[in-house]
Amino acid sequence: MTDSAEFLLDARVVLDRGDLHLDAELQVHHGEVVAVMGPNGAGKTTLLNALLGWLPLRSGWILVDGKAFETPEDDTVTPIHQRGLGMIFQDGLLFPHLKVAGNIRFGAAPDKDLTSIIETLELSNLLHKYPLELSAGQTQRVALARTLAADPKMVLFDEPLASLDVTGRSRARELIGAALSENLSGALIVTHDPADAFALAQRVVVLENGHISQCDSPAAIQSRPQSRWVADLMGWNIFRGVGRGTSIVTPNGTEITTTGLQSDGEVTVMINPASVALFPERPVGSPRNSWLCQVRGVQLLGDIARVSLSGPLDIYADITSSAAAELVLNEGTEIWVTVKATEVHIETRPSVD
Amino acid sequence: MRARLPVRIRLVALGALAFIATPLLSLLWRVPWSRLVDLLTRDVVTDALLLSLISSIAAALAALALGIPLALQLARMNGFAASVVRAVVVLPMILPPVVGGAALLFAFGRRGLVGSVVSDVTGLVVPYTLTGVIVANTFVALPFVVLTVEGALRALDPRFELAAATLGANEARVTFRVVLPMVRPALIAGGFLGWARALGEFGATITFAGNIQGKTQTLPLAVFVALETDREAALAMSVVLISVSLLILVSLRDRWWPVR
Repeated sequence: MTDSAEFLLDARVVLDRGDLHLDAELQVHHGEVVAVMGPNGAGKTTLLNALLGWLPLRSGWILVDGKAFETPEDDTVTPIHQRGLGMIFQDGLLFPHLKVAGNIRFGAAPDKDLTSIIETLELSNLLHKYPLELSAGQTQRVALARTLAADPKMVLFDEPLASLDVTGRSRARELIGAALSENLSGALIVTHDPADAFALAQRVVVLENGHISQCDSPAAIQSRPQSRWVADLMGWNIFRGVGRGTSIVTPNGTEITTTGLQSDGEVTVMINPASVALFPERPVGSPRNSWLCQVRGVQLLGDIARVSLSGPLDIYADITSSAAAELVLNEGTEIWVTVKATEVHIETRPSVD
Repeated sequence: MRARLPVRIRLVALGALAFIATPLLSLLWRVPWSRLVDLLTRDVVTDALLLSLISSIAAALAALALGIPLALQLARMNGFAASVVRAVVVLPMILPPVVGGAALLFAFGRRGLVGSVVSDVTGLVVPYTLTGVIVANTFVALPFVVLTVEGALRALDPRFELAAATLGANEARVTFRVVLPMVRPALIAGGFLGWARALGEFGATITFAGNIQGKTQTLPLAVFVALETDREAALAMSVVLISVSLLILVSLRDRWWPVR
């Protein structure tokens, strides 16, 4: 157990629920926003429910601001309503029998001034409506106001923007960010959308199959995914293959050279599209992985052109749009695709799906 | 839109409806409408009406006071224990009311298990009094409250309770500010169903509280007596009972039982 005074939240959550064995340790610093990402069924919501006290720990600990909330060893369990942990649910869970004002007031101290929260989240003209009359985005803003009004030590979010449409999402994301920075003690945000995680969080925890597979800054998550799921999420190229010497051989026989000796088993190869280079002529020298491929299509994403290629490997390359213009890429154009061996990332655990 | 049913089934369905409606219509057919007000202002009738009103409302309130806590508890129980408790609660619904009345006598009668102690300590005698009528009515009304409220509680997303707790609400606040307000339609429906049932109670009342005009003779009892002596008065009182029950069921629409 680490010295908890320096952390707002210090927890190791161990519990079993159905097929899921959850064993996750994580810390949140004072003022920090941490995102929890992971595939469906990885245990993200279970983790939040355990932190709240809705599901009991089998072992581990939950310390908030140095105070032990739950330590199964000595039977310490603080009831949910005394933990001071706010929660934003995916569907808001506003109390349908109370107006917006009543919902926001529900957990607030009687003399608390709620004007600034109401103004920041732009709720002034919704106060006399019932939750049934609100849009999904308005619902989540009221839910956040209701939680912040109760002065939580920390706020937990469970997919707060999942029910919103694209425009509602970015607006709600801005407002959540503003409200968090004004009232911030710390937050944990469960999400499956990297945009949420990267916009709101300083640190990202990846939870897979009940275990934490990576804990990094958003930039590091993007540039150095440690698992196939993250790589896939970041739009990386993913191939399955079998280790042979220092290479990986894909099912159609293409060899991908790596930097080290590979074990014989099945592995997953992950390549960042930004590390894939395109040349009109066969390159000579350092890049040892080069294949002649055909352009299938080009998609412009701002300054980046995502080039879809087929050949010995079906692969995506992210190049600058000016480079794409220089190369004159049309459907069917033959082009050399190269990847440095150092840019080939390997996950030895074969992916299940 | 669902497909139409075969004609034979629709005919039987119509027959079933007619089977229920015909006796009621036949009764209404015989009612001396022109003298209804006159009939309803007779002593026997006004006594019974007042008594029925007081005892059924008191019973409905008592059933709510006892039934809501029981429903809250029952909704948190599962498995065998829940089945046993629910069976006990439903029993007064299915039991012949006369047997219920007899059981009440053995419990709360002057020599009953509880009644003997009560009358020794307080001198209070329950059977053959207005209190006895209320006890008998509560006994039959309680299941309606418990089952209606329990059904609504089970349909309530338990995460609302979690949400309230994360906002600092303790168990009492969660119950009174969130759970009960959210099942308010069921509380109202359960109360009115219990009231309607109490208003019509006959067997348990006559067994446990007797049939004393002005003291324990409620409307159904008065109807039963009047059928022998004064048919027109019996019909007039029946009209009152039918109208009240129908009014309750129609105004509750389908909220009284989980149709959907």
